[in-house]
Order: sequence, then C-alpha cells, then structure tokens
Amino acid sequence: MTERFSCTACCSADKPLEKFISNLSMETSFHRVESQEVKCEFGLEGVCCRLCANGPCRITPDSPLGVCGANADVMVTRNFLRAVSAGSGCYIHIVENTVRNLKNTALAKGTLKGLNALERLCNVFDISGGDVYEKAANVADAVLADLYKPDFEKMELTKKLAYEPRLKRWEELGILPGGAKSEVFSGTVKSSTNLNSDPVDMLLHCLRLGISTGLYGLLLTNLLNDIMLGEPEIRIAPVGLRVIDPDYINIMITGHQHSMIATLQDRLADDDVIQKAKAVGAKGFKLVGCTCVGQDLQLRGAHYTNVFDGHGGNNFTSEIILATGAIDAVLTDFNCTLPGIEPICDNLKIKQICIDSISKKANAELVDFSFDARTATTECILDEVVVAYTARRDNVPLNLLPDHGNDTTLTGISEVSLKAFLGDTWQPLIELIAGGQIKGLAAVVGCSNLTGGGHDVLTVEMTKELIARDILVLSAGCSSGGLENCGLMSPEAAELAGPKLKAICQQLGIPPVLNFGPCLAIGRLEMVATEIAAALGVDLPQLPLVLSAPQWLEEQALADGAFGLALGLPLHLGVPPFVTGSPIAVQVLCEDMKSLTGGHVLINGDATESAVLLEDIILQKREALGLA
Amino acid sequence: MRRIIIDADKCKACKNCSVACMRAHAPEGVTFSLSDPQFESRNTILQDGEKQYKPLFCRHCAKPSCANACVSGALAKDPNTGHVLYNPDICAKCFMCVMNCPFGVLKPDRLTNTYVVKCDFCAADGSEPNCVANCPSKAIYVKEVE
Amino acid sequence: MKHVIIGSGAAGISAAKTLREKSTQDEIIILSADEFVYSRCMLHQFISGERQTEVLSFIPDDFLEKNNIEFRPNIAVTGIDTVNQMVKFDGGSESYDRLLIATGAKSAFPQIVGLRDTKNVYGLRDLEDARAIRDKATQSNNIVIIGAGLVGLDAAYGLLEIGKTSTIIEMSNAILSTNLDLHAASTYHIKFEEAGCAFHLGMKVKRVLSNASGEIEAIVTDHDERIACDLLIVATGVHPTLDFLSDSGIKTNRGITVNEYLATSAPNVYAAGDVTGLSESWPSAVQQGEIAALNMLGIETAHPDTFLPKNTIHFFGVPSLSIGQFIPEAGDTKDSREDRMRYQKVILRDGIPVGVILQGDISRSGFWQQLILNKVDVTSMPKSIWKVSFADSYHIDENGEYYWTMSV
Repeated sequence: MTERFSCTACCSADKPLEKFISNLSMETSFHRVESQEVKCEFGLEGVCCRLCANGPCRITPDSPLGVCGANADVMVTRNFLRAVSAGSGCYIHIVENTVRNLKNTALAKGTLKGLNALERLCNVFDISGGDVYEKAANVADAVLADLYKPDFEKMELTKKLAYEPRLKRWEELGILPGGAKSEVFSGTVKSSTNLNSDPVDMLLHCLRLGISTGLYGLLLTNLLNDIMLGEPEIRIAPVGLRVIDPDYINIMITGHQHSMIATLQDRLADDDVIQKAKAVGAKGFKLVGCTCVGQDLQLRGAHYTNVFDGHGGNNFTSEIILATGAIDAVLTDFNCTLPGIEPICDNLKIKQICIDSISKKANAELVDFSFDARTATTECILDEVVVAYTARRDNVPLNLLPDHGNDTTLTGISEVSLKAFLGDTWQPLIELIAGGQIKGLAAVVGCSNLTGGGHDVLTVEMTKELIARDILVLSAGCSSGGLENCGLMSPEAAELAGPKLKAICQQLGIPPVLNFGPCLAIGRLEMVATEIAAALGVDLPQLPLVLSAPQWLEEQALADGAFGLALGLPLHLGVPPFVTGSPIAVQVLCEDMKSLTGGHVLINGDATESAVLLEDIILQKREALGLA
Repeated sequence: MRRIIIDADKCKACKNCSVACMRAHAPEGVTFSLSDPQFESRNTILQDGEKQYKPLFCRHCAKPSCANACVSGALAKDPNTGHVLYNPDICAKCFMCVMNCPFGVLKPDRLTNTYVVKCDFCAADGSEPNCVANCPSKAIYVKEVE
Repeated sequence: MKHVIIGSGAAGISAAKTLREKSTQDEIIILSADEFVYSRCMLHQFISGERQTEVLSFIPDDFLEKNNIEFRPNIAVTGIDTVNQMVKFDGGSESYDRLLIATGAKSAFPQIVGLRDTKNVYGLRDLEDARAIRDKATQSNNIVIIGAGLVGLDAAYGLLEIGKTSTIIEMSNAILSTNLDLHAASTYHIKFEEAGCAFHLGMKVKRVLSNASGEIEAIVTDHDERIACDLLIVATGVHPTLDFLSDSGIKTNRGITVNEYLATSAPNVYAAGDVTGLSESWPSAVQQGEIAALNMLGIETAHPDTFLPKNTIHFFGVPSLSIGQFIPEAGDTKDSREDRMRYQKVILRDGIPVGVILQGDISRSGFWQQLILNKVDVTSMPKSIWKVSFADSYHIDENGEYYWTMSV
C-alpha cells in the first residue's frame, strides 16, 4: 500500500480521528480527496449528458443545446430525476426486504420484540388479527401490496401515514405516489434518452419519489424493524473507536438493513457461540457499529447490550475502524460500504462478507440472506469469522485509539421514547418552543462527505452555531455519527448551547443535539414534527422547523431531500446537488417550491452563515405563528 | 510565434485538454488507458484559494528560463517557430529546467525520472495542439503573438 | 565592432548568442582553452560512458557556423593589454573593441603535503580531467574522492556506472551539506553506501603517500587512518580562473571585480560567469553572459543583485531540489512533511518562504523559486502551504505569457 503525505489528508471535525488518519500507513478516502480536488464544472453543474451515442454533450455559451436539442434545463432535471430515482430505489429496496422479513418472521412465529410498535401500526393502518403474528403478517401484507402496485394505482397506506393537510396539498399537486417500486421504474424511464423534456414535470416526479421514499423507505422501515428488533430505549452509550475491544472477535456491521442480522445478533449471545470464540482465545463476539445499521443497533442497543459495545462511526469512518486491525470481519448488508475498504481488508486480512447481493463487494464472500436459510447462513458466517480471527490476529498489528469518542452519548431516541421521556405528551416541548426557551427545531440529517471543509466539519460547526442560538437539533443519519463522536450528543454539550437551551438541557440531563440514529430515522423526525404540528393544529411548513443535510453525499440523500421538500420544509444543503446549470431547476427548487409545497432549497457551505439563514427562517415562522 | 492563449475564466476543469495531451503523447504501441501511469499530461488545471480554475500550460516563453537553465542543450527555443522544444536524447536528466520554470509547468516523468514532460505544441503531427482541439469551452486557443 | 570572448562555457556562449541576436554585423571571436564547446555539468556522464565527447556539447552542431562566430580552440590566454586593447596568448594576440572574460573556474586543491607532485590525482572540472579519470579508473581498485559535495558525488556516481566504488572523504559531518539538510542528504548517503561506496565524514586528508614511480598509493586522514588509494579525485571546490590577469591591472578580489553592468575596472572589458565569483550556477552564468553582451553593445542592462543559492540533485532515480536557506534562523518557522518516497521542507520568515527542499517528487515545482524571489506571503493564503502554486499569483500578459508580481 502506498504511504501518503500525512498533511494532504482531508481534515475532519473529529480532531483525534484526523490525527489518527494522518499517521496511518494506508490510504483512505481522506487521502484521495486531494488528487480529486479539481472537479469538472460541467459535472458539478449537471450540464453533461451521456444518455446517447451523440454524447457526452455539454452546455457552454457556444453550445447551448445538446445534439438532440436538449437544453441545460432538460439535461439537469433528467440527471436529477435519475439520481432521485436511484436514491429512492435504495430505500425501497430496504423497506421491501424489511417487510418481507417481518412477514416471514410472523409466519414462522418468530421473535417480535416490539409489540407496542406493532399495536401502533395496526391502529394507524386499521388492521386487526387474531394474535400478534397474524397482525404482523397483515401489516406486512398491506405494506407489500402498496410497494408492488403499478404506478397508476395510488398506494393506500400513504393516506393513513401522511398528515392530513399535507395529503391534501399533495393531492392538489397530483404528486401522490403510485406503487413505490413502480415510481422508481417510471422515474428511470422518464429520464431516459429522448423521452420527457419537461423540467417541471420531472421535478414534480422527484417530489412523488420523495413521498414514497419518506413514508415507506424511511418511516415504515423504522417501525417494521421496531416490531422485529425492539423499540429504541433512551440510554447513555459509548461511541467512537473506543468501542472496539480487541479481546473479542469483532464483526463490523455496515449497511441499512437491520432485520437481516437479527438472527446473528441473537446467536452471538448464545453460550455455544461464546464457547466457539473462547476456543480460539477470544472472550466472545462483538458487533462494532458502523454507518446506519450500526446507528440502528445503537438505537435499539438496550436489547443487545451483551453483543454490542457501541457505534464506531459514520460512512467515512469505516475505513478507519478497519484500519485499527482489531476488526476480524465486515458484514455488509447495503451501502454505505466504500470500495476503499477492500484494499484495507486485504491488507489486514479482514474477512468481507456480503449478505445482500445488491451490495456485493469485489473481494467479499456473498452469503445471500434468505429467511428460510437464516440459521444455516448465520452458522456459516460465524465459522468464517472464527477462521478469519484465527488466521489474522497474531499476524496483524493493532493500531487502536482507545480514547477516541466518548462514553456519554445519549441514544435510543425515537418518536415514542422521546415523547415518553417528556411525560407521554409533546406539550412540554411545545410550551418550551412557544415560550421561546427553545427557538425552534433543526433536523440536521444526511451523510458526511469530504468536500468543502472536510469530514463532518460543516455538520459539526453548523450544529454548534444552531444550538448556540437556542435551536434544538435533532439528527438522523451519518450526521449523527459525526456529531456523537465530537461529543455534541453528550449531556455535557449543554455548555455549548445558548443560555436558554443550556438551562433546559441541564435541567433534563439531555444534550442539545438529539440522536435519532440512522438516516432511516428521518422518518421518525417526520413523525415527531407531524405530531407537534397536529397538537398545534398547523401544517408542517408553519412549524419553526428547518431541515438541513449539510453534508449530503449520495443519491439516497437526494431522495430524502425530495421528501423534505414534499413536507414543505426549508431544506439547507452545504453543497448544491448537480443542478446549478439549469435556471429552471434552480428557480423551482429554491423559489417556486414555496408556492407548491411550502418548502425550498437553500445552499450555503459556511457554518455561521447557514445557521443565521436557518435561524432567520425559524424566526419568520415563529412570527407567523404569533410567537414572540 | 503561435501561442496557446488561455482564457482562465472559461475553464470548466473538464480535463479534456489533459486527456488529449496524454493521448497525443502516448508511447508508440501502447494502448491508451486513463489509469496507466505512463500516460502523462503536459498541462494541468490548478485552483487558486477561491477554487477558481487556473490552467497551467507551457507558454513557450520569449525568454525561456528552462532553456537558460539547461546544461545539455536539450531544451532550446526553435528560432523558426519560437517554440521551446525538448530533445530527450541529449538531456542530462538534471532537472534544472524543472526548478527554473517560474510557473511550475515542467516535471520529470512519473515512472522513471529520466526525461522531462514538456509541451511540444503537438508540432510533430503539424496540427493544432490537441489540447486546444479538445477544449469544449474555448478556454484555450491558438493565436499568433509577438 | 569586434567582440572577443575568452571562454566557451555557459557564460561565454550565452554572450556570443546574445551578441549575434542583437547585432548581425559585429565580429565575434571566442578564444577557448577547450578543444570544443562542452558542458562541464555533464562530465560525470562522460566518465560513466553514458555520454561520449560528441554529445557533451550544449549547443546545436551548427551554432557557431550559423551565427558566424569564430571559434579558436586550445588557446591559453597569457595576458591582457588593456591600454592597446589586446588579448595575448601563446603564439599570438588578438585586438578587441569589447572584451568579455568568461574563463570560469578551476579546481581548487587543498593544501596537502605532496598532493601537487603525485601522479593519478585529478580534479573534475575539465574534459581533460574526465578523460584521465575515465582512463585510469578502469584499472583502479582503490578510488578515493575528497569532497562529498555535488562534484565529488557526481564523480562517485559516474564511477559506479562503470562498476567502480569509491571511498569519499568529507570534512563536514554530512554529505551534500551545502545543498541539503541532513534528512534529505541521508537519502543519498544510504543509497551510495548500498551501492558500495564508503564515506569518511568529519575528516580531512593530511598526507598523500606515493610509490617509487610517484604514483599515489594511499592517503592519510587527520585521524591518522591510512586508506589505500590508486586514483584520487579532488572535489573540494573551485576558484575563478584569473591567473592570466596578474599584469593587466584589472581589479580582482576573489573573482574579477565587476559593477552592476558586469564591466571590469578596465574600459571595454567585461566579465561574466564563475570568473566573477557572483554565483556558481549554470543559469546565472547564462544570465550574466547575456547581460554582459547587452552592455558590450551599449544596451545598458543591470545585473539583478538577488542571489539565491539553488541546485538540483539527481542520483539513483531520486531527484531533489534545494533553493535558498534550508536551515532555519532564529525566528524562522519550518514546515515539513514526508513519506516513504518524498520529503519536503520549507523555511518561512514572517510567512514568506526563504528556502525549500523537495525530494523524491519535484514535479511542477518551479514556482517555489518565484515564491521566494517575489517574497510571497504564503501563510496568508486560504489554503495549505503545500497547495500553493502559480495559481495563487496567476497573471497573463497581452501576449499570453504568464508573469509574477511582487507581493506587497
């Protein structure tokens, strides 16, 4: 492996991590940023089209149209719709697998750890059944039926899941989604060669994808997982590289499909499995959390304390977690699994196992998940991991960072656990907002990227600016990974908040940044917002609530963003999606959207400026609501 | 003389110029590949502190510091065309030219450090320089100058 | 007008070229001690056999003819009559209207007992030296080089190419100590040792011992260590070649004294290159030759007073460059970074680079010299010092040429 100039490594908000990376003798994403620094502006602005053999066509003042006649608006919105479709497809894939697991678990009368969640969902869906298994199977069937509808048939649960005023607006705009899978299909077809050339129609399709992504891919995935795996419970947990205990056989999990490792999670706690580890000199097995499935496990960590020590870090921390040498296997169920982990795994003899062919890595063994074979495949995985452990541990040097992160991160927050914490009512929070002790809410979500200021830099800095302005921050996604490792999700972070927010945090013993876990939990944030709006009798765009994906990375984040816009929320992004080459796209996303859904996009890469912009919006909304 | 004129404001950093240069100077019989380190571009796109693109192309300077620093005569200004041409066969590989190019255009070859990667204005094939021919933004063009 | 140039090195040839560019009519005569025009910087490649005499030249084959320059080889100038404007040499003389002295420098031998009279002891400055070394080396088994500067190591490197290792005696405690810091120098130190060379640092040669035929047999260091030696190469520096000026009345100090127009104390006599002692680098010799020529033609041109030591080094496929100061003074800050293949160090004074060392990768690094010369405050830029480039001072003139501006 190439050793790199330490100083050229991309920086991180997480300074101990940054230092660790700068001393690594192996290449990571952080080291590749510099050589990719000069970006093609045609790509950045979305005005490069590769949809046909006449291309790539690029828009310049001298060549304002592609060979086919497509202008910048057509190129940009086509590219954008393709990206949002792909992002939606990712989430729909996740919910499809999740709901199938629920159905199969119900049919097999397997363990259902979250019966309250089941009950709530039955109420929402108006579903009954003889026993919990029948109810669960019926819930699953209802979801599956919607997912598989054609695009011309509207999904039925949308109406039960969506907030009434929103639903009405969506109906008016004609953006209620048909079958979620079919919407991905149509989005892909629509944006293919020489089909749709109506920029506005394509942007509206993005909103439709946003709705199906948000309500099904995000919201439902959480609840379906809660039924199977248990509901989040608020607790204090360790985070960062410190969670890696080299005395155990360590499996790093990465992905988005928590229910796929349900059997494995339970097995790891079994005596015979622990004996298997002890036989090769380890104390047992541990799961080390990484990316969103790690966040999911952390959220539900109260149910898995004996096999899970904590969450290591977010997407761009995955290479670093592996580089410690103390991980024996990587278990991948989905993204975000960087191709860059492969040479590191090869180098450190880390076994790579993929349990969903959709995220098959080149050097990984594919142990494709199937519910029926779950017991056998779990045993197979355990055996492989033991083999890897035995082969590598004496031969691979450890490079641990035991002081990294903290032991004080508040986790397990969900729409249910938070409400319970507040006394089974949102009233205390509403009163704090109404009274101005909390100026408003900011949902800081999405990924981390390595552009602009570096890993988690804008996320962390902007969040600090927001809480300093007495804005309570709720986070879901890899943003949480960065925020928690930087200590902002620890109660001690109250010190960084504005005087009013600080006082509340100290009174309640909570941090000013609340950790909802994975990006899927953007769906939980929607539920929190909706319940607050309903309690106030207002629509979502009226709430003093802003949405920000400061360091969005991938197509899934764009689908999340489309959901936010459909909800009518102001959506802040640190860097623009590749749309700035189209005047129409910019106009629709940043301005016209306000009259469509009530939402709009704002772009700013500076932490303080972004916080000021978001605070202004919150203040305007407060004023409109008649709050001081 | 003919010089490649740069309109930096028009550059979009698509790197077509760099790819064209690599192709134009491909070693004979080697299949072109963007991931093969033996293909090197004579030009590159830099960025200033504000991330503005600043294309870096050999100017074939009126007073070429590279040729002045050359101890072997391998770099010399062609009296007819005005272009500063490089003869690798007589080069001493001392890289005094690399140090003395005031703009940091020159470099030793990546794999062997045995020759200088230097713009030849694509003079051999007699055509317009390939970088210019492949710029979609007209950020570079050839002009007759003093 | 009749221009006579003594010397055919970088400065002399550059002057002749400039004279011809500016004046098609004037007579140009070069009186050279050499048999033909060749580059001193490549003599080690002659020793190694990589380069034969016909490719030692640094000018095109037709340069002299095409530019109507009269080249007189093997001329040993013995004196200058500045009153009658005559150059005197063995077997004749030549009058001049303008004279340029560009005789360069020659090896300076240290004061070592017996050194001058011993056979098989050479400097490495002229083709004659290189020829002798090349011929002798093939039969030598114990080659010793005094001096681990660039010339000494060039010799050692050239000899390695023909399968001959050397023992190198150096009085300072590191090799290449005038060019590189210890860290960068050690890269080469290790590689030379791996190739079979031996270094004796912090030592001087006290005596040389010879056999009955007067051939060198051994050297003795000031540590009283006896090292067998059948070929000794002395690379301890040079001094300007100006012994022929003793009766001329032309003022000299270490080199020929010149004013900013490179004029000597005698009317119509100029000097350029190593003989002035102003700087010992090839590019400055070229520049001085050009400036002297312009002044000889009456085009008043001043020589810049900035002097920046700089050099490139290239052994074993590892290139380095060193510009300006590489050891920080009090109050300076140092910034450096390295990995297995590369090393970079910058010395900053009030945010302005005053010296740089780059090793391993010197690609597109020429702008560093300009950062130093133009006193660019790199620390005030919104980027890492390692990402600074010409892009941060990017200017293009009406002819499409780049240029730098002095920072304020």
